[in-house]
Amino acid sequence: MRRALWTVVLASALTLAGCGSASGPGSSSGGGADSLVVWDWKSGDDAAAAYVEAAKADFAEKHPDITVEFVAQPFDQYYTLLGAAIQAGKGPDVMLFNGGGQLRDRVDALVPLDSHVAEDRDRLVGWDAFSKDGRTYAAPVTLQGHPIYYNRKLYERAGLDPDSPPATWSDFVGGCATIMAKTGTKCLALGNKEGIGIQFFLSGLGSGALTGQEYDDWIAGKRDWTSPDVQRIFELWTETDGAGLNNDAANSTAMFNDSFALFSSGKAAHVIGLMSDVGHWKDFGEFLDPGDIGVMRAPVITPGATPSLPYDGGIGYAVARWTADPALAADLVRSLTARDALAVFHADAGAIAADTTIDVSKAGPAVTEIVAGIETGKPALHVALSSQTLDLMGRLSQQLLSGSVTVDEALRQLAASDREG
Amino acid sequence: MFRRTTAERLAPYALVAPAVLIIVVLRLYPLVLGVNFSFTGDGERDGTAVGLDNYAVLFGDPLFLGALRNVGLLVLLLPVAVAIPGLLATFIYLRVPGHRFFRGAYFFPAVLSPVIVGAVFNLLLAFDGPVNAVLGTVGLGPVDWLGDPDVAIYAVVGVHVWATFGMALVVFLAGFATLDSSLLDAARIDGASLPRVIWHVIVPGLSRTIQFVVVTTMIGMLTSMFGLLYVMTGGGPGGTTYLPEYYIWIQQGQMNRPALASAASTVLFLVMVVVGLLQISVLRRSGRAD
Repeated sequence: MRRALWTVVLASALTLAGCGSASGPGSSSGGGADSLVVWDWKSGDDAAAAYVEAAKADFAEKHPDITVEFVAQPFDQYYTLLGAAIQAGKGPDVMLFNGGGQLRDRVDALVPLDSHVAEDRDRLVGWDAFSKDGRTYAAPVTLQGHPIYYNRKLYERAGLDPDSPPATWSDFVGGCATIMAKTGTKCLALGNKEGIGIQFFLSGLGSGALTGQEYDDWIAGKRDWTSPDVQRIFELWTETDGAGLNNDAANSTAMFNDSFALFSSGKAAHVIGLMSDVGHWKDFGEFLDPGDIGVMRAPVITPGATPSLPYDGGIGYAVARWTADPALAADLVRSLTARDALAVFHADAGAIAADTTIDVSKAGPAVTEIVAGIETGKPALHVALSSQTLDLMGRLSQQLLSGSVTVDEALRQLAASDREG
Repeated sequence: MFRRTTAERLAPYALVAPAVLIIVVLRLYPLVLGVNFSFTGDGERDGTAVGLDNYAVLFGDPLFLGALRNVGLLVLLLPVAVAIPGLLATFIYLRVPGHRFFRGAYFFPAVLSPVIVGAVFNLLLAFDGPVNAVLGTVGLGPVDWLGDPDVAIYAVVGVHVWATFGMALVVFLAGFATLDSSLLDAARIDGASLPRVIWHVIVPGLSRTIQFVVVTTMIGMLTSMFGLLYVMTGGGPGGTTYLPEYYIWIQQGQMNRPALASAASTVLFLVMVVVGLLQISVLRRSGRAD
């Protein structure tokens, strides 16, 4: 009897514990006249604590009588919860968004911020990801993009000059052969288990393959999948794997975080990573000496192409349409993107902040190189594609690696999906 | 007198009403809603009737057809998935040395969540993992268990069987408890070999239990491999390990096409009904033959 009782207690406790995480701290919604509620998925992290404090302090200087409450939601349910709030027409006053589709799908629920953030317009970059039809709906906090990282130490061991990474594709392949022969490491760390390795490959190398015109057309929605330059990128995808430049079994290697671990542990000389959050200079710097992490532009694949850093606005804060005083909420957004707050976010959370005037010299040469590329950078190629096309591209990229589809057939299917979506 | 018979006549209905209501309100009504929803559109056509468009999309989508083919593969692999716990339960029933230990050991994976099982086997089956290392010592080349499109589905099904056969084993052991042991003794006295005992005494005696295990194992394969697929392959490589439920989740959660997902759910439901009825009728016939 006693045993049965314990079983029941234990089982109910486990069930309740399971429920707790799902119900979450969603209770507080909508600030009153003297308070503002912010929804995000960051403020619960220790790494973001100092940033939140800095932003709060900045806001308190301007509005000492207003209290600000941060509600951290679990990221995997964030947009579901936000969708429910939007349906109900009440919820947080200010909310965090990923740039691009997540925001553009929901602009009906947001206040255009153009008049409120005019002063920040030149100081911050990455606005495009938070704009739709010429109006701005959120102010950027971080930038997200796909630099090509390389291990300077492996370059040295292979007898290559780490200060002048390969500028053309043939130099890159030649350098790879030298690195692989002299150091016994792989050239490229590639994880394509989730099917997103191809997204990084396309965006990371795209600016070296497409001409300036083709690149701009692609972003503008006029994508020519039959162009030889587009075809070349997908051919290189299979060729690099066939030539053994990638780690073994890319299709069963998870990008998060097995392929990044290969680079961090010095088992691969290059990786196409991210700029902010994860899989980036700060993560790599925990294992490698930050001074050994280099960042290079895409090698020139098509003569005449001008390689650039592919990046977009990462995350940014928006103001809900139902907030009592939009100007007040917009002021909070300005505090959340203030220079000092962003400087703290950059240093603590390991992000490339949207404010490029922040001093990043302490973070190592990789960050300096990334920030130097922001001015001439362009939006990443894969971000322009619909989620349907990205899903298909992921599957086709795995089939390309396993040889069960040809490049022509893959491009034909992608073109069809792109036309639909 | 009259009133009493009315009350008596109504009593059974009143007593089953709660159960029937729960089934109707919480099961059948949502099912009808879901089927109804599958005839509406997604995105810009949200809420409008589109007839059979979603079903046309489904049966024109190679990914969904691949998922259905994988269901066929699971049906073919079903005898293996049932035979393994059946055989092991037989050994335990026949009291092989250490049967008490094995009884616990076999059941142990059944209490692990699929996510944990998947994560453990991700490590074991990694290209540079221990399984390939063992194969390497006996001179067999490394196998890309989760990255080779011809191998991955078998690897995931194998792990699923490993993770869930404990439950079927317990059901078999319960079935053995009802087996008439004098039949076994008689067979032994007659000098029957073990395979003959299994085939002529144990299998017929357990036909009801086998029937139950076949149906529950099939349902388990079709509806609860999601966690493993999610953790181990994500439907890859190249969509070769998709199952309908994974397809439903991707369309609903990732592609924001809930109506299409409803159509896929309806198809999965029909597949399960047909497969279940077929199995029961086949097993009934074989049960009668004995």
